[in-house]
Amino acid sequence: MNEPTVFIVDDDLAVARSLHWLIDTVRLRVETFSSAQAFLDGFDASKPGCLVLDVRMPGMSGLDLQERLAAQRINIPIIFITGHGDVQMAVRAVQAGAFDFVEKPFNDQDLLDRIQKAIAFNSGERDKEAQRAQLRALFAGLTPREREVLDMVVEGMSNKAVANALGLSAKTVEVHRAKVMEKMRARSVSDLVKMAMQRDAWSKL
Amino acid sequence: MNSEGDMLLLALVVLGGSLVAALTLLGVLLLRLREAERRVSEKETTHESVLDRLQENEYRLRTIIESEPECVKLQAEDGTVLEINPAGLRLVDANQAADIVGRQIYSIVAPECIDSYRENMRRVFAGEALVYEFKAITLKNRIAWMETHAAPLRDARGNIYALLGITRDITEHKQAEEQARRHQTELARVARLSTMGEMATGIAHELNQPLSAIANFSRGCIRRLRSGGMSPNELIEPLEEVCAQAERASDILRHVRDFVRKSESQLKPMDVNQIVRAVIKFTEHEARQHRTLVRLELDPHLPKVLADAIMIEQVVCNLVRNAVEAMVEANSPRREVVIHTRRFAAQAVEVEIADTGPGIDAAVIDQVFDQFFTTKREGVGMGLAISQSIIEAHGGRVRAESGRDGGAILRFTLQLSEQQAHKRERADSLHS
Repeated sequence: MNEPTVFIVDDDLAVARSLHWLIDTVRLRVETFSSAQAFLDGFDASKPGCLVLDVRMPGMSGLDLQERLAAQRINIPIIFITGHGDVQMAVRAVQAGAFDFVEKPFNDQDLLDRIQKAIAFNSGERDKEAQRAQLRALFAGLTPREREVLDMVVEGMSNKAVANALGLSAKTVEVHRAKVMEKMRARSVSDLVKMAMQRDAWSKL
Repeated sequence: MNSEGDMLLLALVVLGGSLVAALTLLGVLLLRLREAERRVSEKETTHESVLDRLQENEYRLRTIIESEPECVKLQAEDGTVLEINPAGLRLVDANQAADIVGRQIYSIVAPECIDSYRENMRRVFAGEALVYEFKAITLKNRIAWMETHAAPLRDARGNIYALLGITRDITEHKQAEEQARRHQTELARVARLSTMGEMATGIAHELNQPLSAIANFSRGCIRRLRSGGMSPNELIEPLEEVCAQAERASDILRHVRDFVRKSESQLKPMDVNQIVRAVIKFTEHEARQHRTLVRLELDPHLPKVLADAIMIEQVVCNLVRNAVEAMVEANSPRREVVIHTRRFAAQAVEVEIADTGPGIDAAVIDQVFDQFFTTKREGVGMGLAISQSIIEAHGGRVRAESGRDGGAILRFTLQLSEQQAHKRERADSLHS
């Protein structure tokens, strides 16, 4: 399930098959699609990997597909394959966030290296995303009161100050705080501070 | 003199054109003159008073002609200028009448226009009224285009004794015309080049597909063989793919050839020299920009060939541009392209394009017509390949060689049109 997949989208079936044959040599899973639409319809966004995409295709072009994926917030890295004299298209693709591009005819090692890099990049992104999701889940498990206590603790307020601010007894604050540490799986206040900073950083994104 | 005056008036009426105002006056004069004549017979007025009136009329006429803003002149059959008005003197840059009156009109006609001018003179003296254009070189060596409305002048007995010409300077008009024409050819050239460019790019893109596939399949095989653990049986499938893609590539090229051949139906008897001259018009500007001299050595007595003019223009254009580009790229100090046309054997005409560039390396001389063979930094290698297809579709041959004094020489032949016709007849008779 978590094995990376190289998605090939090329309207030229022979080229798609030949890329499959070539990429097989580095033991990566490969799925080929004969059009941008077929990819949009059949691709499982939960799968890690990268997309190898021909710039020129009849119907939805590679650039169009890139746009559609961006609109759907699908962040799979894209390696564009461009033909002779398509430099301008390649520049546009990279400006629109493409991971990389190779110009036909390309060197096999070059393409494979770029694919590996794209997959590594994607897996790093996915790890980060997983962390984010986990953290979001942890924060989501807190009660509103616990969240208040947490916010004050990470700002460096003492239990007493928190108790005063919230009109609670110091004892009650102590209990909330222990609960927060437990739910957040934090070993120390500094762990909590880090988590809160990460949450704030993402919320700004 | 009176009927001569009438004739002069009549001629002016015939010429019309720019003289509308003068003509109205002249018309009135003519009526009065006729009236005067009638009075001579009817009222038997004294001879003296008639002469007076005629003299008066002649004087008026002369005044009109003298003040006429356009050149009015009389010429004798041999081209001697008999009379010319002040506007005419200004037109030919003469200071006084003696500079031109009594001299040959041919002294101000450009050499290349003299033959046609003589012919026009002959026709006017045979009784025709004509409008003709010619290039003039004035007494101050100014080059100007002139347009003359000419009519024969007859004496009392009806004999033509002079040519009456009203001439104006049409240089500006000519230049505007020329500019429009140049613009047109430039557009045609750009359109043609972009079509060629598009075609070449299209073919390149098409061919890239099977070539990429071939490369990928082959490299996939190599990688598997290198890392071991691949049985020969597993090679069969990808190698079959490689073969199929190679066939696909050759199909694309066959398609290009067919495309070129399809236009065979447009073959018409054509003058090769005319085709060459047309191309030079497109390429002249470019050649001049690259300090290249294009020289034509065309055999004027060539029979017509069977050709599609547009396609042969494309070939000549390719070859000339190749020559220019080769010299520019090699930074040749002397840059000259010479185009020869000549009879080749009994049934063909040969066109030769020779340059003073670096010539063709003996090692690659057999490859220059191959698709995608290029020595140019920016070349796609289609120019000569397409040229060859075109010439072969015409039933001709292309050859490339290095000149004895360096430089490249490209030659192609085209079949004579009569010979082609013969062949077809023979083929037809065989079929029937």
